[in-house]
Amino acid sequence: MKVHLTLNGQATTLEVAVNETLLAALRRHGIFGVKHGCETGECGACTVLLDGRPVASCVTLAAQAAGHAVTTIEALGEYPEKGWKPTSELHPLQKAFAVSGAIQCGYCTPAMILAAKALLDENPHPTEAEVRDALSGTLCRCTGYVKPVQAVLDAAAELRGEKVIELKSPLAAPPGLFRPPQEEAGPPPVPSSFPPAGGAAGPYPLTATEARLEVRVAQETRPKTTYVGRPEVKVDAVKLALGRPAFAADVEMRGLLVGKILHSPHAHARIKRIDASKARALPGVHAVLTWEDVPRVAHSTAGQSDPIPGPLDFFSLDNKVRFVGDRVAAVAAETEEIARRALELIEVDYEILPAILDPREAQPPDRRTEVAAVFAPEDANSPADESQRLAADGHVRRRSAGLGSPAGANHELQGFPIIHDEPDYVPFGDCDPQRNLAAAIRIDLGDVDAAMLQADHVFVGEYSVPRVQQAPIEPYVCLTYWDEDDRLVIRTSTQVPFHVRRMLAPVLGLPVKRIRVIKPRIGGGFGNKQEVMLEDICAHLTIATGRPVLMEYSRQEQFMASTSRHSMHFRMRTGVMADGTIVANEMLVLSDTGAYGNHALTVTGNTGHKAMSLYDVPNIRFHADIVYTNRPPSGAFRGYGVPQGFFALETHMERIARELGFDPLEFRLKNAVKPGAEHPMSKVWSEGREAHGEIIHTCALEECARAGAEAIGWQRGQGDKGTRRQGDKEKAFPSPPLPLSPSPLRKGLGVALVMQGTAIPNLDMGAASIKLNDDGSFNLLVGATDLGTGSDTVLTQMAAEVLGCPPEDFITYSSDTDFTPFDKGAYASSTTYISGAAVVRAAQQVAEQMREVAARMLSAQGPAVEPYEITLEERRAWAPDGRSVTFAEIALHSLHHAQQHQIMGSGSWVSPDSPPPFAAQFAEVTVDTETGQVRVDKLVMALDCGVIINPATASGQVEGGMTQALGYALCEEMVFDQAGRLIPTDFQKYHIFRADEMPEMRVIFVETFEPTHPFGVKAVAEIPLDGVAPAVANAVYDATGVLIPSIPLLPEKVWRALREA
Amino acid sequence: MKPAPFKYYAPVTVDEALAHLAEHGYEAKPLAGGQSLIPLLNFRLARPSVIVDLNNISELFYIRPDDGGLLIGAMTRQRQVEHDPLVAERAPLVHEVMPQIAYPQIRTRGTFGGSLAHADPSAELVAVNIALNGRFRLRSQAAERWVPADEFFVGLFTTALEPEELLVEVALPPMPPRSGWAFQQITRRHHDFCIAGVAVVVTLNDRGQCEQARMVFLSAGDRPVIAHQAAEMLKGHAPSPELIQAAAEKAARDEIDPGSDIHASAEYRRHLAGVLARRVLTQAFERAKARETGKSGNW
Repeated sequence: MKVHLTLNGQATTLEVAVNETLLAALRRHGIFGVKHGCETGECGACTVLLDGRPVASCVTLAAQAAGHAVTTIEALGEYPEKGWKPTSELHPLQKAFAVSGAIQCGYCTPAMILAAKALLDENPHPTEAEVRDALSGTLCRCTGYVKPVQAVLDAAAELRGEKVIELKSPLAAPPGLFRPPQEEAGPPPVPSSFPPAGGAAGPYPLTATEARLEVRVAQETRPKTTYVGRPEVKVDAVKLALGRPAFAADVEMRGLLVGKILHSPHAHARIKRIDASKARALPGVHAVLTWEDVPRVAHSTAGQSDPIPGPLDFFSLDNKVRFVGDRVAAVAAETEEIARRALELIEVDYEILPAILDPREAQPPDRRTEVAAVFAPEDANSPADESQRLAADGHVRRRSAGLGSPAGANHELQGFPIIHDEPDYVPFGDCDPQRNLAAAIRIDLGDVDAAMLQADHVFVGEYSVPRVQQAPIEPYVCLTYWDEDDRLVIRTSTQVPFHVRRMLAPVLGLPVKRIRVIKPRIGGGFGNKQEVMLEDICAHLTIATGRPVLMEYSRQEQFMASTSRHSMHFRMRTGVMADGTIVANEMLVLSDTGAYGNHALTVTGNTGHKAMSLYDVPNIRFHADIVYTNRPPSGAFRGYGVPQGFFALETHMERIARELGFDPLEFRLKNAVKPGAEHPMSKVWSEGREAHGEIIHTCALEECARAGAEAIGWQRGQGDKGTRRQGDKEKAFPSPPLPLSPSPLRKGLGVALVMQGTAIPNLDMGAASIKLNDDGSFNLLVGATDLGTGSDTVLTQMAAEVLGCPPEDFITYSSDTDFTPFDKGAYASSTTYISGAAVVRAAQQVAEQMREVAARMLSAQGPAVEPYEITLEERRAWAPDGRSVTFAEIALHSLHHAQQHQIMGSGSWVSPDSPPPFAAQFAEVTVDTETGQVRVDKLVMALDCGVIINPATASGQVEGGMTQALGYALCEEMVFDQAGRLIPTDFQKYHIFRADEMPEMRVIFVETFEPTHPFGVKAVAEIPLDGVAPAVANAVYDATGVLIPSIPLLPEKVWRALREA
Repeated sequence: MKPAPFKYYAPVTVDEALAHLAEHGYEAKPLAGGQSLIPLLNFRLARPSVIVDLNNISELFYIRPDDGGLLIGAMTRQRQVEHDPLVAERAPLVHEVMPQIAYPQIRTRGTFGGSLAHADPSAELVAVNIALNGRFRLRSQAAERWVPADEFFVGLFTTALEPEELLVEVALPPMPPRSGWAFQQITRRHHDFCIAGVAVVVTLNDRGQCEQARMVFLSAGDRPVIAHQAAEMLKGHAPSPELIQAAAEKAARDEIDPGSDIHASAEYRRHLAGVLARRVLTQAFERAKARETGKSGNW
């Protein structure tokens, strides 16, 4: 049908199907600023203005736009400079979003800007609460909403004529970006009840968004810099604010087919028969692929360096399905409608197999490892009994004990489900598929058992953390096609383009050189896209059809058939002397890798490598089993095993401190690792490879703890329960809560100390190349993968610093396997450190060549100058006597005039060190003891990430990371039914935080200068995830006297815990 | 993802819409704001063969005063109700609840009547309309009838509407003098459908005794639940904290039948219902007293 509407001010007629959503119709007509994030109107990425009001276009029919005015981001502004023709320039909202750092991945940015525009059009003087309400319909997984809210308030001020926003970086260098920190106003009063308007749970009290950003210097060794350390506007901010077609699916292509996957309805089954003939016969269907059609190549989906540190247990299509959502078949058809009908026509007979849905039941009962035995369901000893038993007999043997006896008799296995029984399974390390063991880790340092016997106190505790999803707002999306050279092009939303190319070559039967991977802008990844999970099947469909194929996951598919964070069970056992010195620390882990072993070994190894290194204990044990279950595969999720470990460690430490009557912060600091110490786990663990001990050169943990304590008001004293400083062990725990008032509300403070790493030592490699253009600008080509974090920007700042010109002189491009040098990809918090050092090397080469040319030019004009005497600054090469030539003159000279050559350089970097960032994270909570609701009022994070290259992007990382971690603490959880089906498959059942329910957040950077990096940086990306959940749980403990050893802290869980206490 | 194919009609009058419904009966589905229906279509959980889109029927968009109360056209957008001064004045309970429904994009499109016809037992407007003694005007080609709100909701996502009928108008009577209201819900996150919720309107007589207490529970069964026994306990008595507590416990213990799901167990919902009932009754009686003594300027 034809729909007549006014589209972005123009009378337009669209040809649409009656059953087409407005979102689908707009994108089909090239309006790519409208984004797909879900199918239920809940993420808001598809927001358009309908007659000036925001609506979700995914739940509006295209036909319903008839006669109405539809406005998309495309109507709002233009790039400020487009040659001779004047432009309308950016809308104030677009400028404000770019300048304030409100844009990370930029996928939800058009929606936020439109929602804000609708607000400002009718209310030029919005309060912060009104801004937050206006943004509440648009989910952002990157920013934590601090900077978007600030941007809208700033834009409102400009529209009112009260200020002018310049589209350039705020000049204020740290400290004190944006606004100075304000004085603490003392403890907030305990309210008598949560605000009634939003029910007892909310709305959250709105806090002044101040974008409070502080950078303090712990070491005065930092060299003076010009561009490093400044809150530069992100290099991709303007295009994202304009909603330009920058993402993987934002392309039109002749002959494009739609790819769809048939997912398994069963948790564990063998495909007895599969008949696709009816589907293939459907007009418009170009290919149907089943396991009978594609080569069977065992591989891993984990995007990691060669060799893959895990089992090869995945097949593009298999005759066995291992979780609800696993692949059964794939279809390529001319339209989505036809593809869906084809899926329904595929006939499959399944032999349903018994499924393993609980990791504690993954190993055959007669053949459990010692670790698995600890967590086995029938092992119901109370922790107190266990404490005495384990401390007394020290029965857990040292590493030499191995994993127990080899395979038992096969008849014992009959009937017990073995998830990976395929003969072509390629094992790795200590995996044992015959008992559903994807990986095992046994690390012992010193003599834990002997130390436990000598400890004055031994504390045992069990903890658990859930499976949660990364939930990038852009789901998996991939486009594949044959180019004019018959090379396979994969345009994909990935964090690991080079791994995609290398890993898919054998799977597709193509040499690496015949594959080109293009990474456009990425709508968030958070580890989810460190996985090669859609590209293979999409490429198979292109190979099968010869046609371009686009595959986009729905939100439901994204939840049930991508990766998630490993759920883990922990048992901690810690030996402490009377003076508070920890002498032995043991962590046993049962980790659920789900149906495949991607990231199984490395995630859980990282759990121990980081969590068990924070406290410098001579005797450490870290034993882990990573088991297969018939649940979706776990994978990489920002933090990579470490948030799990710190929840267990830091709630356990809280218990110990309180039971022994120590201030929880002082107890932690007493035992924490100090600068100059050897990283405790570095000598025994390096992602399954040979380990080398590392010295911790920089550690401002104590300064972070002091700064954070001051910011949260730690000195305000104890929470309402009054346990924190009480020395009397008898009274500390069991005494009933004494209400301070009749109100059921209790307030409390909690802390957690955390550390992370910076890249994988001796393995992670990044490279960059830089070339000089005629006008003195540069192309900076990096293999590093900016997935919204701002890495393109900080890498540009580092190049700018070396070359002495502003970042806008760089054309930064990442990443395309044909054009950019190799980089292992965006993971392990490595880009600023590893890729940054590579950029510095490349820039130094370019600088050296420029100095040589400049020296020749200057010497020809006057007194002789040596290259080493030249300095590069303000786009000029300066001789000591004050003469100079411009970069453009150098470029023209070297490219056109004399001794011609292309000035260019390339650099690579790999580091033997993985310097840990450190942080202290604090939470202030209010608990409704009648209902069990927990409201987090404030989060503070003080962190030592080395030198901060860009305070705006770095603080954005911290705010967004804390927000994800807040969901981990309070409300996010992937729950399965008894058939193994995931229950929350949309944003109604899976809760992520919205703009109007955020606590106040404060970020304090305590800078050190890390000597292993040219600019002294360490990582910032992952560490914000680590400490929020334990800090919140500890604050609830402070408020109520009850430690809840598992997250999320759902109201019912809290209520039950309080009732049972 | 997009809906399965269907026939699409976009009538501009109620009569025209009713003709389509009469012709297609069970095969047809009226489309109001679509914020619940279109997700169901997108997932193909609903596959009507005919969609009758009501969004072009201008005669269904209005808010009018009516003898001290209000008449609200079924297609009036939730956002308009949220910002309407007449609603704020005459139906303060509705005004207070509106911002808690979903988020701006949804309220832009979602309609007052659509939420009622969808009959989600956890939907705020369902409970509020019952608490306010709302009446719904239902029209078919052949007839028109008025159905009280408490008879309209007959089960999970099920109403008294016949396939050929449309909900066209809601009448909210004026609140009696000396009345107070309150609404509270507990959600896992703001904007979510609630784990438990209660809407209440209470009226005091001139001696300060409870004359009427109309308390409606959300997410407490397959339809909204009216606490008649609790109301009886309160009736004729001055609302003391003890009495309020007892009435709240009575309602939570004996009158509701909540279910279990991944968000909450039935036991917990029952507990929350009791806590919330106490809190809303307390607040509503305070408001009723304040209004009686003239403390509240804008009730």
